[in-house]
Amino acid sequence: MAVATHGTASNYLQRAPSPSGLADVVDLILDKGLVIDAYVRIAVIGIELITIDARIVIASVDTYLRFAEAVNRLDLTQTEAAGLRELRDGGGDGGGDAEDKAKGMFEGLKEKVGRD
Amino acid sequence: MAVESPSRGISTTALYCYGIVEAGAGVRQPGAGLGREPVEPVRHGKLAALTSAVPRVRVRARRNDLLTHFDVLGNAFERGTVLPMRFGIVFDDEDSLVAELLRPRHDELVGLLRELRDRVELRVTAHYREQAILAEIVRENERVASLREATRAQASAHPFLVELGELVSKELQARCRRDAQALLRALRRVALRYELDEQPIEYQVLRGSFLVERRRVDAFDNALDAFATGHRETIDVKLVGPLPPHSFVELTHGETR
Repeated sequence: MAVATHGTASNYLQRAPSPSGLADVVDLILDKGLVIDAYVRIAVIGIELITIDARIVIASVDTYLRFAEAVNRLDLTQTEAAGLRELRDGGGDGGGDAEDKAKGMFEGLKEKVGRD
Repeated sequence: MAVESPSRGISTTALYCYGIVEAGAGVRQPGAGLGREPVEPVRHGKLAALTSAVPRVRVRARRNDLLTHFDVLGNAFERGTVLPMRFGIVFDDEDSLVAELLRPRHDELVGLLRELRDRVELRVTAHYREQAILAEIVRENERVASLREATRAQASAHPFLVELGELVSKELQARCRRDAQALLRALRRVALRYELDEQPIEYQVLRGSFLVERRRVDAFDNALDAFATGHRETIDVKLVGPLPPHSFVELTHGETR
């Protein structure tokens, strides 16, 4: 039943039977699931709100400057070399950095102090 | 209707509700609940709510509590269809759970259980690899490439930096729209419904949940795998599931009595 999926199984798609990080669980159970409309009397536990401290996309000069810096920092020869290596090796190691980065982004959870 | 589990303390505890299953699938989960309390089914008609006692005082949700909620539902999901409740819903006691949820919403919940039988939620996230996608933008947009050269040589060329960054941002958004659409096109054919998480996050192509028939999970995996393979240089794609249908349980709004 609750087993990992297994299709043609290349190395490019990462699969997991359940969310690995707290942030992914939060995505599922704080924002989703059955709620009952206001006409039914229920109490919601006084949860201290948990928000995802992720960089959301905002069009601003600050954002633009950050992109400009990121592009300027790029070592094009290196990314090309990495791209080639990846094609040759079947992408085994190319994803590591970006994956870590994405995780860092989602797992940067912070608790809001605001009680209800 | 009989409430079958033993009654609990009246004033010191409340009843936390994890989710709803069919009456026959409502199985006790010893020690699996919040605070290691047993998870007990509270049955009414064709339904069973999975519950455990929680202190009536205000409870602070900790990491473990969130994971516990998720795991109780996961255990139930291994036995059959489950309608997950949102985290944090508490009733006074068994009587109020029946009176406020199971009785007035009985037929609707039974219908939802039937509709979601053999259907699972699959969560998909796709993110650009920062270095790879930026390099692609530099390669494919001449203006970006020349602004980059100019500003690299002269670091304080502020107006050019802003223009460069804005161009990069636009290119990124255009790629995101294009790739998200391609991904959705590929997945829509093998999914019944989908819910995308709205808040856009930097370098994210798509984050969302798909409702898929259990027998089509492999087809879904294949479709996603083909996309991941086709975009392996620039996009990291992740598939989580099969999960209980957290994102696809909605009750119609309206007065219940």
